[in-house]
Amino acid sequence: MGEPTVDRIRILLFAGLREQAGWGERHWPASAVTATTLTPRQLWQALQLPGPLDSVRIAINQQFAEPDTPLQPGDELAFLPPISGG
Amino acid sequence: MHLKIDLHPETFEPLVCLEQWQRQLAVQGYPGSAAESLFIGRVRPAAADGAPLVALELEHYPGMTERQLRQLATACGQRHGAGSCLVQHRIGRVLPGEAIVLVAIGADRRGPAQRCCQELLEALKHEAPFWKREWRRDGSSAWVTGNTPL
Repeated sequence: MGEPTVDRIRILLFAGLREQAGWGERHWPASAVTATTLTPRQLWQALQLPGPLDSVRIAINQQFAEPDTPLQPGDELAFLPPISGG
Repeated sequence: MHLKIDLHPETFEPLVCLEQWQRQLAVQGYPGSAAESLFIGRVRPAAADGAPLVALELEHYPGMTERQLRQLATACGQRHGAGSCLVQHRIGRVLPGEAIVLVAIGADRRGPAQRCCQELLEALKHEAPFWKREWRRDGSSAWVTGNTPL
């Protein structure tokens, strides 16, 4: 018996980007067959998120990633507006 | 390297945290460092446009922020040969004058201690997912889209 099938991608938005979009968390269907073709860039466009993609940073499973990194079912994808810590 | 990282949802006193950290290191048998460098960052009383600031709101990415701070501190500490590293960072609503961040580095010499402290501070400002929102007297607010100049 393997792990339970995870058939979606969790998408998170933060701070000003979350408020512009009007939501902070969504799930996108992703079967094991189609997920190999999904990238953060495609989801950014499909979700009609505001502004250019190069104005944000991308994290997959809480690690910085590139816009064209292939997504896997069960991944957590986050779009991060400009960081201002410290 | 001895490493301690905490996110504080409430006010913290940097010097109290530092004292507790040094006591903890002593209990663990760490002999202490010949050189220590520390930075304390506090909330300014004015927003970026000069208007009086009521509060600063600090948002973070639970899980990633802690992981990223740990990665940055570990890498920076190793580059400079630091013996100890303490990072304390506020989240939530922070009032003017309150501490946002404390970075304290212990090393064998002042050069590595000071360089590591500055480098780690800059790294966490740009590479750890935190976002600031400025709240003004009239109830309006604005997300800060960058860092203040060095």
